[in-house]
Amino acid sequence: MIRPAPLAGLAVMLWLVAVLAFGSGYEQRLMALAAASALMAIGYQLVFGQAGALSLAQGACFAIGAYTAGILGRLGWPLWAELPAAVLVPAALAGLAHLPVRRLEGHFFALATLGFAVLVRLVAVDAQSLTGGANGLAGIPTFGRGPAAMLVGWGVVGAAAALALWLKRGGNGPALALVRGDAELARASGLDPERIRARGFGLAAGFAGAGGALQAHVLGLVSPDVAEFSVMVGCLAMVVIGGRGSVAGAVVGALLIGHLPEWLRPLGASYRVAYGIGLFACLLLAPAGLIGSLERFWRRRDAPVAALAAMSPSGASLRIEAVEKSYGGIAVLRGVTLEIRPGEIVGLIGPNGSGKTTLINLISGLDRPDGGTIGLGDRRLERLPPDRIALAGVARSFQSPAPPDGMAALDLVAAALAAKRGCAGFGSAADLATLQAQAAGLLQQAPSPDIARALALDPAILLLDEPAAGLDAGERQQLALLLRILADAGRGLLVVEHDMAFLMGLVDRVAVLLDGRIALVGTPDQVRADPAVRAAYLGTAPC
Amino acid sequence: MTGSMPAELLTLAQLLLNGLALGAAYALVALGFVLVLNATGAVNFAQGDMVMLGGYAAVALGRVLPVSGLMLLPLVMGAMAGFGLLFSVLAWRPFRHRPPIFGLLATVALGLTLQEAMNALEGAAPQAGPALLGVGEIRLGPLGLSRASLGILFACLVLGLAQGWLLTRTQFGRRLRASAQDPVTARALGIPVDRLIAASFMLATALAGAVGLLLSGPYFVTPTSGNDLILRAYIAATIGGWGSLRGAVAGAMLIALFESVVAGYASSVVATAALYGAVLLLLMLRPAGLFPAPLGRRA
Repeated sequence: MIRPAPLAGLAVMLWLVAVLAFGSGYEQRLMALAAASALMAIGYQLVFGQAGALSLAQGACFAIGAYTAGILGRLGWPLWAELPAAVLVPAALAGLAHLPVRRLEGHFFALATLGFAVLVRLVAVDAQSLTGGANGLAGIPTFGRGPAAMLVGWGVVGAAAALALWLKRGGNGPALALVRGDAELARASGLDPERIRARGFGLAAGFAGAGGALQAHVLGLVSPDVAEFSVMVGCLAMVVIGGRGSVAGAVVGALLIGHLPEWLRPLGASYRVAYGIGLFACLLLAPAGLIGSLERFWRRRDAPVAALAAMSPSGASLRIEAVEKSYGGIAVLRGVTLEIRPGEIVGLIGPNGSGKTTLINLISGLDRPDGGTIGLGDRRLERLPPDRIALAGVARSFQSPAPPDGMAALDLVAAALAAKRGCAGFGSAADLATLQAQAAGLLQQAPSPDIARALALDPAILLLDEPAAGLDAGERQQLALLLRILADAGRGLLVVEHDMAFLMGLVDRVAVLLDGRIALVGTPDQVRADPAVRAAYLGTAPC
Repeated sequence: MTGSMPAELLTLAQLLLNGLALGAAYALVALGFVLVLNATGAVNFAQGDMVMLGGYAAVALGRVLPVSGLMLLPLVMGAMAGFGLLFSVLAWRPFRHRPPIFGLLATVALGLTLQEAMNALEGAAPQAGPALLGVGEIRLGPLGLSRASLGILFACLVLGLAQGWLLTRTQFGRRLRASAQDPVTARALGIPVDRLIAASFMLATALAGAVGLLLSGPYFVTPTSGNDLILRAYIAATIGGWGSLRGAVAGAMLIALFESVVAGYASSVVATAALYGAVLLLLMLRPAGLFPAPLGRRA
């Protein structure tokens, strides 16, 4: 069955052919301008729809592209040199602007990009000698009459759409979904959200630059209006109305918004009120956008299950030495030393607040130790970011694992598999069906999607934070069996657990965390017998 | 004594006074912005357009009732509070179970609708609202203090203090802050969280309306005059530490003083450029704002 996105592409093509064959010069020019918007929207779909970063600089990048084309075009640069420049200049400027704010997330990132947009607008309006100020730039060579402009414009859109689809193909899809759904979980799965967002931002700027250049050549002039915030709002509207996760949606959105003034012409000047109301109604009634809403009617096929390929953990030990951590002057860990060898299961127990989860956070890189070292084999981990640690072979599960909103467990695991193969983000990709088949195999084995996700990283060391929480007796037995199989395959496991009966029956050694130090490491029997542990932690209850 | 004051110092004092008045207006807008932010976790991008709407409400009322702006202030605030209720029904209720980005986009759409509606009704030309306390200057030694600036400063001080009293000294304020901090627990304690969120919107919109009236006299009002204000409220909330009311006021003051001093010595273009440059620098060096919340940020 044909999916809605290709169907929409077909509809757009038919519309284009109809306008090309029967449309007036004015209609063809309108189509050429819509092509410029479509380029901007396709790019925005990458940074906002795929990487999940609310950039408010896309309109500014469009303006930079328009001015670059205008300035170089008036200098007499040939098109083949000027168009790449109009793509590269905004991409390079966006890259520069992104560098200092790359760590920002959510609203902070939005504000930073808005600041960039305001600066661009100031240059457009006030730098007379460069941009012509309020008069703008006139006398830019045009593509000629309607049909030519339309053909060039939509030719570029076709190429850009193909590029955008290529960039997010295969395993990149689930990886990007995880990045925009939950950055922390993405990091723990071996993905680097900062780098992925930076790439998305730069790519989006390049697409917008191409759009701006196209508009400059269709109109034959650049006016400072192109740097107004309304261009950005229009771009946002196109992507939201079309469907934020879809290239076809961006194109459809650009066509609709581009033709709105025409269709609402009977309303006169107040057509823009209807535009605002329409945008609101779309958010209210079709939040996934036109293409996104249509896609819901197509059911996803069940993924085939692949037999688990033999994975090969590296067989290195995890060495934690004299690790210290305090929060606001309160020492949580005061020199923790512990080794986890391949093939063994170590249990970590301690009263509430003794620092068990803190230790796991430090090992997995979500937080940095104040002192001490953590190493896997010869590799030092304590200064690495979480995604590098996950790829180096130390994976973790979370206490309250829930896939991000609307993300299927299958995609969650596939994202980690893609990260492990080093092809997640934009660009190089693994075949999605293969990844999903592998993911389905892992999901069948693991007691929870989150543990399946950790296993997808093929870790030498697996850190499990309360894996038995919420499981019934049967499921616990199954979990114990799985953990034993994992250890026998040469992985080292560190398990934090409150259920003593479960833990003591499972592990090879138990480490007791008391007052920020490892008070004792021994077999379950040794720990049970230790009077200090009994007094401080187990109490007098029999276990 | 004051006659011997060097001319530069005098200029600086005037600039600071203007900056203070403008900062007080920004602060009220930012306060409303943060109130809604805390109550709903969503950015209200239409807060600037509420100011614009308040300005037009003042202009319209001024046409019918030829009284001073001070008399119109309660009328405008009341009307705007009612509009705030309507706004919360449209922009918040349908989107409360969706990711916060939808709330933000909804306010962008509604703000756009408001701007275009005012553009269709009143046109794009600037309109002057009623003056709060007459026009002209009050001479204080060598200093000429504009009545408009003094009026804004005074009105904002009163409204800001009233707001502080409401939030910290009344049962209503305590409930509001409790449901902003932890809506789940607040709900479990029997606090009507949804109604309090609607009240936050009403309060924020009333404050915006007051600012709209105050600014419509000296600075005029156009359909797009809210755009600059929302940017500044946004910046104020960010540099003040996302979600902190005091931080937002401090941030608004800093922005306005910075802008009016730089604009006074250079130009408004340089001031805007320097402001956003400084904000980018600040976000780079202190990503959680100047006065971060002790337990990390909320965003």
